[in-house]
Amino acid sequence: MALPLKYNFRNVFVRWRATVATILGVALVVAVFVLVQSLAAGLEKASRNTGDARNVMIVRKGATAESSSQVTREQFKTIKYLPQIARDAKDQPLVSADVVILISLPRHRATNGEANVLVRGITPVGMQLRPQVALVDGRWFAPGKREAVVSSRIGERFANCQIGETFKTGGHEFTVVGLMEGGGSAFDSEIWVDADEARSVFDRENYSSVLVRAASPAGAQELISRIESDKRFPLRAVMEVKYYSEQTRTAVPIKVLGNLLGTAMSIGAIFAAMNTMYASVGARTREIGTLRVLGYRRRTVLAGFVLEGAMLAGIGGLIGCLFALPMHGYSTGMMSFDTWGEVAFQFRITPWLAVKGVVFSLVIGAVGSFLPAIRASRLPVIAALKAV
Amino acid sequence: MTIGSFILKNALRNKRRATLSVLSVAVSLFLLVALQVTLREITLPPEDIGAALRVAVRNKISLANPLPARQLPIIERVPGVETVSPFTWFGGKYKNEENMTFAQFAMDAKKLRRIFGEAKMSEAEYRDFEETKDSCIIGKLTAQKYQLKVGDRISLESTIYPCSLAFKIAGIYSGTIDDRNMLFHQEYLDEGCGTQGSVGMWWLKVKSIGDMPKVTETINRAFANSSAEVRAESERAFQLSFISMMGNVKVFVASICSVVVFTLVLVSASTMSMAVRERLRELAILKAVGFRRRELFALILAESFGLAMAGAVLGIGGAYLLFTYGSVPKMTNGVFVVFEVTPKIMAIAGLVASVLGVIASIAPSVSVARMSVVNGLRTLD
Amino acid sequence: MGPSGSGKSTLLHIIAGIDRPTAGECRVQGIDVARLNESELADWRNQNVGFVFQTFNLIPVLTAFENVELPLLLTRLSRGQRRHQVETALELVGLSDRARHLPRQLSGGQEQRAAIARALVTDPAIIVADEPTGNLDSHSANDVLTVLQSLSKQAGKTVIMVTHDPKAAAFGSRTIHLEKGELLGRDET
Repeated sequence: MALPLKYNFRNVFVRWRATVATILGVALVVAVFVLVQSLAAGLEKASRNTGDARNVMIVRKGATAESSSQVTREQFKTIKYLPQIARDAKDQPLVSADVVILISLPRHRATNGEANVLVRGITPVGMQLRPQVALVDGRWFAPGKREAVVSSRIGERFANCQIGETFKTGGHEFTVVGLMEGGGSAFDSEIWVDADEARSVFDRENYSSVLVRAASPAGAQELISRIESDKRFPLRAVMEVKYYSEQTRTAVPIKVLGNLLGTAMSIGAIFAAMNTMYASVGARTREIGTLRVLGYRRRTVLAGFVLEGAMLAGIGGLIGCLFALPMHGYSTGMMSFDTWGEVAFQFRITPWLAVKGVVFSLVIGAVGSFLPAIRASRLPVIAALKAV
Repeated sequence: MTIGSFILKNALRNKRRATLSVLSVAVSLFLLVALQVTLREITLPPEDIGAALRVAVRNKISLANPLPARQLPIIERVPGVETVSPFTWFGGKYKNEENMTFAQFAMDAKKLRRIFGEAKMSEAEYRDFEETKDSCIIGKLTAQKYQLKVGDRISLESTIYPCSLAFKIAGIYSGTIDDRNMLFHQEYLDEGCGTQGSVGMWWLKVKSIGDMPKVTETINRAFANSSAEVRAESERAFQLSFISMMGNVKVFVASICSVVVFTLVLVSASTMSMAVRERLRELAILKAVGFRRRELFALILAESFGLAMAGAVLGIGGAYLLFTYGSVPKMTNGVFVVFEVTPKIMAIAGLVASVLGVIASIAPSVSVARMSVVNGLRTLD
Repeated sequence: MGPSGSGKSTLLHIIAGIDRPTAGECRVQGIDVARLNESELADWRNQNVGFVFQTFNLIPVLTAFENVELPLLLTRLSRGQRRHQVETALELVGLSDRARHLPRQLSGGQEQRAAIARALVTDPAIIVADEPTGNLDSHSANDVLTVLQSLSKQAGKTVIMVTHDPKAAAFGSRTIHLEKGELLGRDET
């Protein structure tokens, strides 16, 4: 039969002064773990959240980033009139060919240097195909004008990107006329300009990608196999949502880093938990002897102490999650290894991540208290009874 | 028997606790050194000896945009310029790997030796590379990783250009700061991928350090207001701007470091002070025998300091040995080439260890001051 | 009774099943306790022996009620049944009004009485007491010894007490003397 839980629980609290350093240490380990993983989670969310389920994205086969993909005008002409593509009220195909360029812009604070930002030359149809993007301030750019609509996140992080300001690139100036928001998607890291202006300023003959709205889900699949099996086209067709959710190259190394860091720091925390529990066992020697006399088994004592260590560390884990919580939703950006441009995203602490953090702390506590628990269970009863 | 050997005897009796403390400090300091070294690598790329005389010229729009090949004669004519070569990133995937693990660049093979003199290869290998159009040279680290030797054929699929190219390995180079790259002929790229007329970047060597500022200025001005404006800067400046593109990485790693340090101090200090607290029995005996508080404090401090230093030697020393004599590319899967454990980094870690030793002695000292001899003597150990 | 080092505590421990003899046998209620293994011994102790210590040995974080309940948690009794037995035991030692107090909120005498209640709660045949009044003032000691005596006389329990205080020994119906591990003689009252 087990020791009552309230016995372990109250012992954890009664000795809080001696254990507070260990609890704090575990809290910090869990906080760092959760924060690093929440970076990765934020990045993943931005990719997964992008795209409309009805759209099909077409890029050059083998191109890993839109900016290095080319779709020629001939290829575009052929794609445009495929039967599986939906049509608008005027019976025009809902197809958009975009030109995507990476430009180097200075960050807000001069000391932070420059970074690549993704500029998308887009048509009115292209904007229609992306309903998750909404204008939040100003107006859309006028055709034929060197005007740009900047994602508000990019506007916050880069210089000269507020409404009315101008930024220079390719020897020309663009005036910012509006701010947009992509609903927490990859579009939150883009600057949109008129497609024709982009082609002329950046001297592009070909398009970068083509986005089409399929008439039906079955039609979408037909379209994909039609394009991919055509030997004339070195093209890749994939559901738009799938295209973006495959962009995990930036998040994966961060996750690995988070796990490595967490493991390394937890070693120190395990030693601390171990020492705390040894001290606890040392202080309660007589108590342990009494329990044994009353008939409690060795393994019961062992389990009790392991549980206590886990509880102790678990409290630290909860506190650690609380420490990390304020960072949830904090906006930041870094270079994406998928697009090579700056990706704006937010720290995202999911409930599952918090659970992982607490479980991690429980493991630290259990592992750390294992050896002291063994010691407690092996104390010679009579000598223990005589201790102070 | 002296007091020292008395304490030492008891320290050995409590081997387990002392070991735990030392290990805790050692692991923490190892981590601290590792983080600092990584931060240093990310923010301060290794200094190549020849870098001082090299200039990188890229499209002003961004590094991702190409430059017209017709710019070459104009650049060559700039006074102070010794040699110019195109430098085009191929972005190729090797075999079926998801990620690229080594960079490939197309350049003018004949100019290699004059611009990048540090690369060591045999005379025969250099000549073979210069004369064979579809040949390439590979850095020693990459060659080892994939077990490639001179004469092997490899093929790569570009993620930027719509083509795949096959190469014959003419030579394997070593001796540069980054022995991972692959170099091949720009001509071969043009023929196979239809990139005639454009290059990724220009790399050039200036005649002397004094020529550097004038050269970069002249080149920038030469193409201002053209359809392909450029940014010419020294290799060092180019590397640093590349790093600044990574943005918040520096802030990020630095803040993790501070949290880690704080956690270390906390955890290790409490660990050690508990280990010392177990000594209360011995200390009680000393107190009963007539030792003054001051002397007891000194003993406690000596012990926790000793533990901290033992941990420091283990942790810092271990990190130093691992990173200096171990294979860093192998450990980091090719991400980093060298981890330099500078005296400054070791000194900072040593300082943290000392602070640790002092902090850890505070709590036990307070206990000893308040302890009654009788209670201390009855502690079961 | 006996001087220090005479082995009286050791004898007590063997009888109570918390120590093993190096030679010979010890039969308690017909069972040779030396032959039982760890687990069997623990169970046997729980059901048949109640132990009272000089240093009380109550668990500091549990209330008097919870302390007394401890041995019962090893049995299959339901919550209600346990409560009934604890309340009975506490009433027997006169601590019903202090059930919710923590040990640090009890006087020495009250603590020892709680310990006795704990020793009683599984209704064992034997109560073993090792210098139960050693840490008490004479007034509390008297209370405790009276309780032990009533357990023996009224409740029919076998109470074996180790003491070096003749006044405490006088409460017992039989006194056995031990010296250097050997029985000397008996006094009967």
